[in-house]
Amino acid sequence: MTNKNEFDVIIVGGGITGAGTARDCAMRGLKVLLIERHDIATGATGRNHGLLHSGARYAVTDRESATECIEENKILRKIARHCVDDTSGFFITLPEDDLAYQAKFVESCLAAGIQADIIDPKEAIRLEPSVNPTLIGAVRVPDGSVDPFRLCAANMLDAKLHGAKVLVYTEVESFIMEGDTVLGVRTVDQRTGEKAEYRAAVTVNAAGIWGHHIASLAGVNIGMFPAKGALLIFAHRVNSIVINRCRKPANADILVPGDTVCVIGTTSTRVPYEECDHMHVTPEEVDLLLTEGAKLAPVLENTRILRAYAGVRPLVSADNDPSGRNISRGIVCLDHEVRDGVKGFVSITGGKLMTYRLMAEQAADAVCKKLHVNQVCKTAVTPLPGSATGSVEEVSRKLWSVPVTVQKAAAGRSGDWAEKIAMDHPMDRSLVCECEEVSVGEAEMAIRDLDVHNLTDLRRRTRVGMGTCQAELCACRAAGLLAKAHGCADRARADLKDFMNERWKGMYPVAWGETLREGEFTQWIYKAVLGL
Amino acid sequence: MKYDVVLIGGGLSSLVCGISLQRTGKRCLMVSGGQNALHFSSGAFGLLGFRPDGSAVERPLEELDKLPANHPYRKVGAAKMHEYVNRVKPFFASCGVMLDGDPERNSWRLTPTGTVRPSWLAMSDVTLYEDSVVSIGRKALIANIAGYLDFNTAFLAEGLEKAGVTCRLEAVALPEFERLRTSASEMRSVNIARVMDHDQVWKKFVEQVCVLLRDEDVVVLPEVFGLHDEHILEQIRESIPARVVFVGTMAPSVPGIRCQSALKTAFEQAGGEFLMGDEVISSEMDGERVLSVRTANLGDTVLEADHFVLATGGFFGRGLQATAEAVSEPVFGLDVDAPEERTQWYNPDFFAPQPYTRFGVHTSENLRAMKAGKEMENVYVIGSELGGADALCEGSGAGIAVMTGFKAAEMING
Repeated sequence: MTNKNEFDVIIVGGGITGAGTARDCAMRGLKVLLIERHDIATGATGRNHGLLHSGARYAVTDRESATECIEENKILRKIARHCVDDTSGFFITLPEDDLAYQAKFVESCLAAGIQADIIDPKEAIRLEPSVNPTLIGAVRVPDGSVDPFRLCAANMLDAKLHGAKVLVYTEVESFIMEGDTVLGVRTVDQRTGEKAEYRAAVTVNAAGIWGHHIASLAGVNIGMFPAKGALLIFAHRVNSIVINRCRKPANADILVPGDTVCVIGTTSTRVPYEECDHMHVTPEEVDLLLTEGAKLAPVLENTRILRAYAGVRPLVSADNDPSGRNISRGIVCLDHEVRDGVKGFVSITGGKLMTYRLMAEQAADAVCKKLHVNQVCKTAVTPLPGSATGSVEEVSRKLWSVPVTVQKAAAGRSGDWAEKIAMDHPMDRSLVCECEEVSVGEAEMAIRDLDVHNLTDLRRRTRVGMGTCQAELCACRAAGLLAKAHGCADRARADLKDFMNERWKGMYPVAWGETLREGEFTQWIYKAVLGL
Repeated sequence: MKYDVVLIGGGLSSLVCGISLQRTGKRCLMVSGGQNALHFSSGAFGLLGFRPDGSAVERPLEELDKLPANHPYRKVGAAKMHEYVNRVKPFFASCGVMLDGDPERNSWRLTPTGTVRPSWLAMSDVTLYEDSVVSIGRKALIANIAGYLDFNTAFLAEGLEKAGVTCRLEAVALPEFERLRTSASEMRSVNIARVMDHDQVWKKFVEQVCVLLRDEDVVVLPEVFGLHDEHILEQIRESIPARVVFVGTMAPSVPGIRCQSALKTAFEQAGGEFLMGDEVISSEMDGERVLSVRTANLGDTVLEADHFVLATGGFFGRGLQATAEAVSEPVFGLDVDAPEERTQWYNPDFFAPQPYTRFGVHTSENLRAMKAGKEMENVYVIGSELGGADALCEGSGAGIAVMTGFKAAEMING
């Protein structure tokens, strides 16, 4: 294979599933091309709770998903420790809930292999002071939180280190087909409009909810069920332990601490497929999330809301369930040759952020089978870049000479990859983003190594602009760095406008109190003072 | 304690009103929360920069009758507006703040992102241009302080290049800033300005700039000079053998802070009392009269006055408060003009006009506040606390503050 446009496998979709599949295939020695129409982690990957499920949530209703979750939970703690925060989790019973459900819940957890310890409500309050003090029951499970951006970027980076080629901002327009065989894809570069063709023996559709469209390009119908989930981010990490409701999964019953914030979610509403690209959080969803969230942790009523956002779960449906709550979160791996008579085409969908690695393994197995390659999966035992050497503490010690705040933030985000952050020059240490402690060196590393094309990409890699000020101070600074790196101020200025709009999109649904104050201030700075 | 007037809020409108009152013999107390919009200003004042369709205004006074009936300028009245605009420069000069610009005609200023924006009067840092195409010179040396990220030289250069100015970017590293730089969050405008205020530092900086200077006829510097003394700006202009142009930085604003402290000093020199970092927490009323207020820091001390001026700003200044359910005015519980439905508070486009900027306290024609539908006898509302204007899109924030500040002082003086 000498042609640079020929590969063993083409993966469509740069979310966590696509990134994981690219990594798995590349580690098995395949020549891999990954194509993503936007940036990495722009779909459901970046729009969820960031919950490292123990599986307990599904123990009663969906045993298969529960078992998959706990197994993957244990694996991610090893291979992606720099992305995981071992918070543990509670399932609490409130006076309005049925305490009898607790026994069934614990029994189901244990049967699925999930550790579940009933603890005294007083002990629960001692361990997690923000929890609703009226609780009448609590069960402790091995939940945690996981940074999906970091996890996706680490998978993508490792895929590239194993020889995979990654094309972001590239959209698949059609398949190259011969009869009923998929031979490759025709693409268009979103930025330049340039068209190209890439060929491979197998193409994997890992486009999440957009996989519905990708499959249709090959004449295949998957029957996706777009289930919108809305969430709110609060400006403080009010809880240090994940808080769930001990009842059948319902709306807004999980509160997850993540980095400097915490996230309440979700709702579940079927949305028309055409709206998946334009998710807006409605006032009704905001009110519901606040009311239900305050039942988990009453302090949320008086906590500033940073922003609201929504994602679309890529569920695969057969029955008629209006909300999608009852659809299995199980993995769906479709060999379209068997299912639909279309050769050289595999879809990997369903599943969850939690089970991305297993999804990737199943997809890579299907690819290898088609290619008659006899290589086993090693992703469950091979740490990702960032988790390769030692603990976060050990990494931090290696960076002893840089300011301790930057050290912690960098090591927390990048793991041992933080060693690549330039800190030699005093300029590198200047902070771009005070809220999230992102230095010039870290931002420049991301621009250099991690496929950063604009400010929103940079935010996904480094957390620039994700803190309490919502980019009011840092966006302009980061835009300056991008203008320097890309040598084009015009593009950086347009990009800055897009970025401010993207930040505002999450703010206006919750634009009251401190969020409105911050919004007004930011508008003054960017419109009146900076003259954008 | 008994005063003639208690002013609540310590920003531009309150200071203008308070100085005017104190100089005419009224005994004033000003309660200031601390920072205000001046700390985040561009260094230039706007009276009316844009029409609703976004086109630039050349002569603001000629546009007054086109403004909506509840606009603060309509309440000040056309005759008073004409009188006041010509009073602004001498008033500020008497407080030690020299303003450039034609009071009846807008000029343009260069923004930190390399664009131009209509401006009315400006502090001496800001260079005003008669034309919307910036004509600062032929070749520019844009000199930054090494490691300072809040002066976006790339944007600035690109904007100037479009206007036909050839630009060269340089960064000057001075050992005096090493300490600021090692604490990564310290490289901010005010911290730099504090160091630059030392004669030997700004002189050394200027020397370095002169060394870098080749054949450029213009030197562009960030607004980080003369935090306490604006004469440094003149000295810098005299020390560099090229035209020196200062351009704004990311907030906080050095000229804004200098202006705020000059006005505060003028207020105190005239005999006014200034409570810094305090806030009004309760009030006593009798019908449509406010009798007294109490503050957080003074505890049980009752602050009585014949008149009260409310100048606590919009949402950012906490003059207005929004919950998920309603918008309210927290000090006296005054009537607020704002729709109940919160989906009508915002526009999803960040850069579009935002409805919430027009919200404000409902007042009568003479700036007296309304409460439960009745006009308060002795409470005046000024500045961005007033509704009816989108100061951001109009470019009228400072103008509204100054005009309504003058007007309320006259109303109180009778």
